[in-house]
Amino acid sequence: MIKGQVISGEFGKILVRQKENANLELGELLVADAGGSKILMQVFDLLYGSQISQQNLELIAGYSLEDDTDFEFMDPKLRNYMLANVKSIAVIKNGKAAVSKQMPAFFSPIMEVTKEDLSFLTKPKNPLFIGNLRSGSKEMDVPIFLEGKEVMSHHILVAGTTGRGKSVLISNILWSAAKEDYCGILVLDPHDEYYGRNNFRLKDHPNREKIAYYTPSNAPPGARSLKINLELLRPQHFEGVVDFSDAQRQALHLYYKEYGEKWIEAIILEKKLSIENAFRQESIVVVKRRLLYLLDLDFSNNALSCNGVFDLKAGESTVADIARELENGKIVIVDTSNFSGAVELLIGSLITTEVFNKYRHYKMNGKLDGKPVISVVLEEAPRVLGKEVLEAGHNIFSTIAREGRKFKVGLVAITQLPSLIPRQILANMNTKIILGIEMKPERQAIIESASQDLSDDDRNIASLDKGEALVTSNFAKFALPVKIPLFDEFARKDLKPDAAVRKGFGGVKLG
Amino acid sequence: MKFAHMADCHIGSWRDPKLKDISTEAFIRAVDKCTHEKVDFILIAGDLFNTSLPRIDNLKAVVSKFRELKENNIPVYIIPGSHDYSPSGRTMLDVLEEAGLFVNVVKGEVVNEKLRLKFTVDVKTGAKITGILGKRGGLEKGYYESLETGHLEKEKGYKIFMFHSGIDELKPKDMANIISQPISLLPKGFDYYAGGHVHIVEDRQIEGYGLIAYPGPLFPNSFSELEKLERGGFYIVEDGKAKWEPIQVYNTHKIVLDCTNKSAEQVLEELNNSVKGREFINTIILIRLYGTLASGKPTDIDFRELFSVLQDKGAYFVMKNTNALNTKEFEEIKVDMKSVEDVEERLIREHLGQIKAGIEDETHAVKELMNILLQERPEGMTKPDYEKKIKEEASRILEIDIS
Repeated sequence: MIKGQVISGEFGKILVRQKENANLELGELLVADAGGSKILMQVFDLLYGSQISQQNLELIAGYSLEDDTDFEFMDPKLRNYMLANVKSIAVIKNGKAAVSKQMPAFFSPIMEVTKEDLSFLTKPKNPLFIGNLRSGSKEMDVPIFLEGKEVMSHHILVAGTTGRGKSVLISNILWSAAKEDYCGILVLDPHDEYYGRNNFRLKDHPNREKIAYYTPSNAPPGARSLKINLELLRPQHFEGVVDFSDAQRQALHLYYKEYGEKWIEAIILEKKLSIENAFRQESIVVVKRRLLYLLDLDFSNNALSCNGVFDLKAGESTVADIARELENGKIVIVDTSNFSGAVELLIGSLITTEVFNKYRHYKMNGKLDGKPVISVVLEEAPRVLGKEVLEAGHNIFSTIAREGRKFKVGLVAITQLPSLIPRQILANMNTKIILGIEMKPERQAIIESASQDLSDDDRNIASLDKGEALVTSNFAKFALPVKIPLFDEFARKDLKPDAAVRKGFGGVKLG
Repeated sequence: MKFAHMADCHIGSWRDPKLKDISTEAFIRAVDKCTHEKVDFILIAGDLFNTSLPRIDNLKAVVSKFRELKENNIPVYIIPGSHDYSPSGRTMLDVLEEAGLFVNVVKGEVVNEKLRLKFTVDVKTGAKITGILGKRGGLEKGYYESLETGHLEKEKGYKIFMFHSGIDELKPKDMANIISQPISLLPKGFDYYAGGHVHIVEDRQIEGYGLIAYPGPLFPNSFSELEKLERGGFYIVEDGKAKWEPIQVYNTHKIVLDCTNKSAEQVLEELNNSVKGREFINTIILIRLYGTLASGKPTDIDFRELFSVLQDKGAYFVMKNTNALNTKEFEEIKVDMKSVEDVEERLIREHLGQIKAGIEDETHAVKELMNILLQERPEGMTKPDYEKKIKEEASRILEIDIS
């Protein structure tokens, strides 16, 4: 269907006259023939056009408003019309897409894009489903998959204001990933929303053995109660998580050096260090008090006891178990809804450090190739990747953001405020899934660090509705407009009625 | 109420002539202790025997002790474990139960495809006992996933649940790689959870559950277990409190030596010095050597003379472990063999490229194939169907048609 015709412009800003009733939308995809190939274009701005002077237009409006006169034009479709600024985003030739370097000919008819035009959008070897292609506000029957292995290891940024569909997007990504074997994903879930204790979510996945769920309280059957042995904690796990002063940080390290795995116990019991007067007693007391509060420990009658997730006896293998599950391509969801932000990040730091070190070790020993990519889903990412936090020093998450891809460890950083993340780290996030963002500085931060040129897409991003996204990635030929399907609709398609398999219970005396 | 809780007796596990009767001896001593303590009943939480069909000589002594218990009116309740359960049903446990020597408490019915366990009630005490057997590769997990827990949890009275599985939350660090399952799969609200399978001594009160206990083996089953546990034992539970009773068949003495930058002769000399002037009556000696020798190979260390000296000093048995002892000559091929998975990984890597099937990711394919071949034939599935399924899976992995 013809939507308009090229009338003027320049590369990157082609002016199209819209055909009457074609109703072009911001973000709409269009195509134009160019010899043996097709140019794929996208609308980034809409404006009015008229053959009548501005003065006369104003006069005509006055007749209509003030005198209630029904003024008729001669050939109104020819005299007043809509114009669209479009940019060419790719050239399609022989079923393949390449970066566009040409413009459609003058007066080229501009057509509505069809599913056939987009046949180059194929499913990659390691697919990661993002959503369905969207042309303006119209959802097309063209699923968008990215090469999951690459995308995951090169970090994903999910940016959008509350209520724009971030959780649905992440649920869809997790569901999609659980169907494949190329990645393990650690999800720190501060809202306990992804496993679905009481609603349809990841626990209902057909490959449910690929979903591991850790929760600190009332674990449903099959889930693990989250306990972490105190002896697994190291001073570096607190970096970027708890704001210790330099002296306090040094105290943590000295205690660890002297007392090894029992260092926290030693601080709580105020054991002496062999270096006398290394710190003022008050510093140790502050560190002790902060550790007691943070780790939910009690100290009375000269005995240490644990109330929360950290334990003196249990949970010796928890972190190793999680690391192994991730290495086996599982989705590990850790319910952190009962924890303070600092405890959530401390647990995240502990697990992520273990995984990262393990993968570094594999790389050194030439064993990394066969391993799945591991990705860490991090809500409110500026808590650990924000400029202010990083000024105080690096942490495991910023280390992964900088060099994780070499070791097949990536982040899925979720935020409403991407501008708080330093530009260098934003640039390292090679895939950005942009949902609706109202605030201009936030949009600007994303546009400036996008993998494709989005300098003309500010309005497009501002106009993104709930569930609409723009995906910019080093692993996509152009910035992909997508519609994120509702989780239920998307996931229920994969459910199959249980085959009538007779369950055997060999070894049980039945009767 | 006073009862004993044993597990992992592994009768017949040691093959060396000097050690082959040691687990039987530990069992005899444990039963004698139970009789002496006048327990009301005994629980054995899996792996009484090391195989489903144990050797006759081991069996004879064990049967004799079970008869003795029967005569003393001390009933024994058992569950099969991963070693003595047989999917074919050919297990000595059935024979001994048929002879009335103990009761296998793993019984129930299938209701709406769910497993509904039944309780076995101990007549003397009224204790209600049930449990789930252990299977190789942690396959019993499927039973727990299909377990109807509501009626078990509602049952009144003193309840005991026997299980033969690792529990994620209780696993120690050094056992992180063993197959286990979350505690949330166990039915809640029992007074005592008699565990087996994981060779640790551990009893812990867990919120919502009760006292969960692993007594460890009656006698350690390997060099590293001997090193770690030194001896075996079991629990005697009285008034809700579990007390671990050690079984000391032999003493153990450990010698650990860092051989880094030492010659074979120096190592031998240090070993000899470390035992000088000591007696080792009824003792099992464990020698662990590690590090990188200055020259020569581990086999250059001539242990014969040392062993003979130790035997003269009364040692019952001497064992050595040189797994972590390297030599400079072969350092480049040293392998960190921490787990079965590590060994498998190494072997797969060593043999890569020998399959001419053109598989892209051979390591992954071999691992997947090994997993497929590990699968037991599900009950209710015929052999031809099972073979067909395996062939189909293998065809998919190897990307060739073998169906």
